[in-house]
Amino acid sequence: MDLTAPTIILTLVWGVAIGCVYILLATGLNIIFGVMKLVNFAHGQLLMISAFLTWTISVSLGLNAYLAIIISMIIVALLGVVVERFTFRRVLGTDKLNEIFVSLGLIYIFENVAMLIWGASSKQVTSPFYGMSVSLPGFSITYDRVIAVFVVVAALATFGLLLWKTKIGLAMRATSQRNTTATLMGINVQRVYMFTFAIGAALAAVAGGLYGVIYPFDYQVGALPTIIAFAIIIMGGLGSIKGAIIGGLLYGITEQMATLFLGGTWGSAVAFTLLIVVLIIRPNGIFGEKED
Amino acid sequence: MRLKQTLNTFLHSRSFLFIIVFFAITAFIPLLIRDNFFLTVMTLITIFSIYAASWNFLANSGQGSLGHAVFLGVGGFASAIIGSSISKAVNFLGTSQMPVGGLSAIILIVALLLGGLLSAGVGLLIGLACIRLKAWYLAMVTFGFSVIAATLSSQFDSITQGINGYTTTTLVTKGYPFYLLVVLFALTSISVMYFIMNSRIGLALRAIHGNETEAKMIGVNTTKYKLLAFVISTFFAGLSGGLYTYFIRLIDNSIFSPANSFLPLIMSVIGGLGTVPGPIIGSIFFVSIQQISTLPSVVDSLNGALGPYFPNVSNVGPPLSLLTIGIILIIIVIFAPKGLISMFQKIYKYLMSEQKNKETKPK
Repeated sequence: MDLTAPTIILTLVWGVAIGCVYILLATGLNIIFGVMKLVNFAHGQLLMISAFLTWTISVSLGLNAYLAIIISMIIVALLGVVVERFTFRRVLGTDKLNEIFVSLGLIYIFENVAMLIWGASSKQVTSPFYGMSVSLPGFSITYDRVIAVFVVVAALATFGLLLWKTKIGLAMRATSQRNTTATLMGINVQRVYMFTFAIGAALAAVAGGLYGVIYPFDYQVGALPTIIAFAIIIMGGLGSIKGAIIGGLLYGITEQMATLFLGGTWGSAVAFTLLIVVLIIRPNGIFGEKED
Repeated sequence: MRLKQTLNTFLHSRSFLFIIVFFAITAFIPLLIRDNFFLTVMTLITIFSIYAASWNFLANSGQGSLGHAVFLGVGGFASAIIGSSISKAVNFLGTSQMPVGGLSAIILIVALLLGGLLSAGVGLLIGLACIRLKAWYLAMVTFGFSVIAATLSSQFDSITQGINGYTTTTLVTKGYPFYLLVVLFALTSISVMYFIMNSRIGLALRAIHGNETEAKMIGVNTTKYKLLAFVISTFFAGLSGGLYTYFIRLIDNSIFSPANSFLPLIMSVIGGLGTVPGPIIGSIFFVSIQQISTLPSVVDSLNGALGPYFPNVSNVGPPLSLLTIGIILIIIVIFAPKGLISMFQKIYKYLMSEQKNKETKPK
């Protein structure tokens, strides 16, 4: 393996591109945690469902893959509303473990429904820019990865505007600080929860569409991204969007660098070692606050 | 003295009676129903009830692990490798092709116990890393360890042969003899775990589960007890891993898969978290649904009825059974958070009160 400067730069750029997809997933998970104090372990399965939906829409309707992502985003957001309404709402506020159990049940449901509908073989979304790449001195990178970065930036910017400039964003921030007080201020907390979950699912859906364009995927693809997204949130600090962005880039680059220097199988293992080390030193994450 | 007292009350308790009676019946049912498939299901149920009980034991101390497959795998690989090397060494000394009868059973038991001990050693290290973590932080880190374990196992493939699969040496005849051994292990393991749960250690663990800070304030050495819970739980998880490996006679890296980590959790929750019969009931439930969906007649009728609707799947049985389990898990968490056992108890109480009413009514 040649460890020349271009290789390392290329790895860095790949790390950023992959990190971006994870950032999107992590931000969705993070907003759900911030507002609802709920960890949705089935978040990666929303990514998986969205990848399949994007594939189906772009194949059966012959639509541009990136337009298909938008349609898939709307469907998955609605799915998120259904999931929140019928499962998580019923266990919210009971034992924390119950949320983990419900998520596990959802993982089984999503994965096996996906397998029943789309089968067990792996698929990849064909983008209109398939095979095209940007050539720079020393290395080249596919258009799709560059587009992925821009899509993520655009999605995050929209999300930021929604959170900081709209009334529902204000309600979400208020609820995240203290839901009882928010209720007293006349905020319909249940509706905020529903909306938050839909937004989180939509972000996961965009991540899923991009994932499906960059990587081949099958019905089991969701498990690892969930854990990675969670690791990113923990590294960056729960509830902090800036933290998630920094954590996501850190994770993506670590994973790609480990793959470059140690070989393919080490990618996720090294990244998890990083997470474990961070948590051993700081049990509540880098910027995490003490639990009350 | 205190130990003797605890042991005495334990031996006379109803739950212990339940364990004894249950496993006595379990041991003899396959003699009445002579069917290979039934025996397979019963063996799997018994093995997984140890595994689920070990997870349940750890959860009882407030530590929910999402990486128990690490210990299933470590116990499995270790006992498979140890069993093969011991029997090779014995073969070298002896004259026969295979060590015979009692000796090979002893080799198997030694290999299983060593596998459990190794798993407990790994459990101690992981427990040390997790000692300050709670709820989902703990869940994440234990899950992370299962990812690392899978990577390590494929890195050291020359020892584990985890990529192509490590084939075990047959030490106890497949079928009923092996099943009896499994039942014996399950009986001892679950009794021991139940005994510890009812001793002073168990009291300390429940106190930690209730409120760790308060437990510390009244003088419980929380670090020591949490580690102890980890070691005990991972020992039995490793043991069940060994039994599982010797039962299916092949172990590969897929043993570290997340599905195997979720398994004991789902079983415990469906059966009844924190109870003794809970993991057993959950195991019966889970394994039955999963195995019945692999029966040729069921597969044929399912494919015949539903196959046309799902053209991308060659066999709709396995995904349908897992889908059912997912739905049931959510229903149980929402409507009966104490598991199937609480439903049984309610029915039992209801029936008993009916009977009492009948007895008192004639006047």
